[in-house]
Amino acid sequence: MGLKASFRGVSLPPQKVSNPAIENAPLPQRVVLPLGHGGDLVCEPVVEIGEEVKTGQLVGQSGDFLLAPVHSSISGRVADIRPWFDQLGNEVLSVIVESDGNDSWEEELRSDERFLEKETVQLLTDLKAAGVVEIGPPAMPLHAKFAHPERPKEFLFLVGIPRAKLVDTVIINCIDAEPGMSLKGAVLQENSSEILAGIKIVQKLMDTAQVVLAVGSNGSLNAPLTSELAGLGVKVYQGKDKYPLGLNPILIKCVTGREIPLPDGSEQDIGVAVVDAATLVHLVEAVRDLKPQVERVVSLSGAGMGAVKNYKVRLGTVVGDLIEQLGGLKGEPIKVIAGGAMTGIALFSTDIPVTKNIDALIFQTAGEAKSFSQDACINCGTCVRHCPARLLPGELSKYCEFGMFEEARDKYLLHCIECGICAYVCPEKRPMLHLMRYGKRELSLG
Amino acid sequence: MNKAVSIDKPMLRVSVAPHILEKRTTSHLMYHTLLALVPALLAGIYFFGFAALKLALICMATAVACEAGMQGLMGRKLAVKNGSGLLLGLLFALVCSPELPWWTAVVGTAIAVILGREIYGGLGNNPFNAVLVGWAVVRISFAEQMNTWIMPEPLFGLEPGGYIEYPPLEVMKIDGVEALVDLPWLDLFIGNVPGTIGTVSVVAVLIGAVYLLARRIITWHIPVSFLASAWLFGIIFWLIDPETYANPTIHLLSGWMVLGAFFLATDKGTVPVTGPGMIIFGIGCGLITMIIRYWGGYVDGVAFAILLMNATTGLLDRVRPRVYGRVKEVA
Repeated sequence: MGLKASFRGVSLPPQKVSNPAIENAPLPQRVVLPLGHGGDLVCEPVVEIGEEVKTGQLVGQSGDFLLAPVHSSISGRVADIRPWFDQLGNEVLSVIVESDGNDSWEEELRSDERFLEKETVQLLTDLKAAGVVEIGPPAMPLHAKFAHPERPKEFLFLVGIPRAKLVDTVIINCIDAEPGMSLKGAVLQENSSEILAGIKIVQKLMDTAQVVLAVGSNGSLNAPLTSELAGLGVKVYQGKDKYPLGLNPILIKCVTGREIPLPDGSEQDIGVAVVDAATLVHLVEAVRDLKPQVERVVSLSGAGMGAVKNYKVRLGTVVGDLIEQLGGLKGEPIKVIAGGAMTGIALFSTDIPVTKNIDALIFQTAGEAKSFSQDACINCGTCVRHCPARLLPGELSKYCEFGMFEEARDKYLLHCIECGICAYVCPEKRPMLHLMRYGKRELSLG
Repeated sequence: MNKAVSIDKPMLRVSVAPHILEKRTTSHLMYHTLLALVPALLAGIYFFGFAALKLALICMATAVACEAGMQGLMGRKLAVKNGSGLLLGLLFALVCSPELPWWTAVVGTAIAVILGREIYGGLGNNPFNAVLVGWAVVRISFAEQMNTWIMPEPLFGLEPGGYIEYPPLEVMKIDGVEALVDLPWLDLFIGNVPGTIGTVSVVAVLIGAVYLLARRIITWHIPVSFLASAWLFGIIFWLIDPETYANPTIHLLSGWMVLGAFFLATDKGTVPVTGPGMIIFGIGCGLITMIIRYWGGYVDGVAFAILLMNATTGLLDRVRPRVYGRVKEVA
């Protein structure tokens, strides 16, 4: 299956190691479980301080459709329930569990091989109960992707796009989008049976939808998998090594030829659902084993790490504890990044727990960490040549720099997909993405 | 409410994404463009002797001194290290006759740096190509000094090209097309004719141009549309009346055409940044150049064509591709 659209972008420095094996990270001594995943909504805690909890036991839930329930990822005692910083620096009410070292599950995990015979409603209920969260942006519970309520969208209604279009294409995203991420190719290699089962579940959930498996140049499909996929009627999309192919807006455009209507649209509006390969594995575990999401595959890289490694980390493991348990770092990190090198968030402290929407950690040493300059734009047009959204980032950055936000909106600032390419290529090293986000935030405040 | 986390560990550095940056910087762009101009300068030295090198050094020194002086006066960060002053000085020297008196060169370069660029806020913020602003001022003020030419005298190897005593375009304008009938195209191509230091040798400029394109410092849009539109416009008139209008290929090989298309019309900041905008810009440059060469008062139209088209950059930047995710508004 070939490209339906071309896009502008850059070739980023390739990963040194492709698809490192996924190892289990050691069991943490304590976990910090935030009761929300970005946004203002938080779950209600259903445990009390001092209570004994088992692995997989529900600790927080909410009636809100867009909020996934939270489960304890280790067994032990609830030490505290108090606000804790998440990776964005927001204080989120969190449940802190201290381990008893046993990792005893609430119920023995038993695999139900007849999971495909379940009713669709049952599948969705199991999925919701397991609290599987699709990695962002925006991070949202996976069940919301498959059955989302109609949300009023005045903008789209006015411009004539039918609301809540039926999903007709499901894209399984197996592309490691940016440097620092190396987990999806590895998941595809090690969990190919889960990927297949997941595709079957997705096909059952949305019986008319075409499933497309999007793989990058690192995703090698072995022969039996290819024939199985063909038998299921799954199309395979072979991507090339060009950033930002792995980012959802561009991936959708390349696979289906459709564009997400911006600024207010989402992928559901054009009938597409993108599911991350690692999330798909959790989906299978949720309906087959009734296993709640208590872990996450995280890629660890950067000069501080030395080699690129993939670990299956218990949710809520504090980054600092994780480093300690893995035997420390090779170099003192000056920058710790949650996410990929192009769009990730620089953490202000290592006291941040690994959450459901962190899929990579990069430890940059002093020699590796880059900084931006405050120099003026030289109007060279390099960013324009590379912008996948076909904007004029240089011009937008100047509008935002000098507070002319309305002008920036007229020049389609809100169509920026925040891939970070403009800042990557800028010869003056201006903080382009920072200025774009600043402008967007000012506009959102009205 | 309990205090969340105490931050007693050493602070980490926080910044916005992306966390990796491309190695290429502004000085990278400037020094590679300088490197791309070295063949043209060497060709100038080869054909006109060390007077050409002397002029280039005078211009470059003046440009850097003026740049540093202006940045100091205006209280801005000293940015002479990025090589933009050197590039400006060298380009100015390359579009001047090797016979130019030193004071004219100094005046021209100083005007180019001060009035052409620094006064607008420095590199990339000037509306008009700074080199051409300086050149236009001295061309109009000191027409006699700017119009003194010497015969090429190759340092070794080649015989001096003795077919014409003035730059080919001057000959064409004054004596008509027949005067150029005997002139070998090879002389035009390698630069064995009178002219300005850097523009006589088309082959040397092309070597630099290929380097720039290969390094992706410039894109093909402006040079290709510039040269193609000039050639196509020329061939129409040549086909109608070859007695009055020269073969368009002679036009491409003479005067500033190639240097202008690859180095002057791609000057960062004074040209449009979108693909369609750049192509319209190039076509405009090509057409105006040929109109001035055919019917204008000046011999070579490249400089004024680029300056005129620079004025349209703001408009041409509005010619932009459809942005991602834009839905057609239903009225």
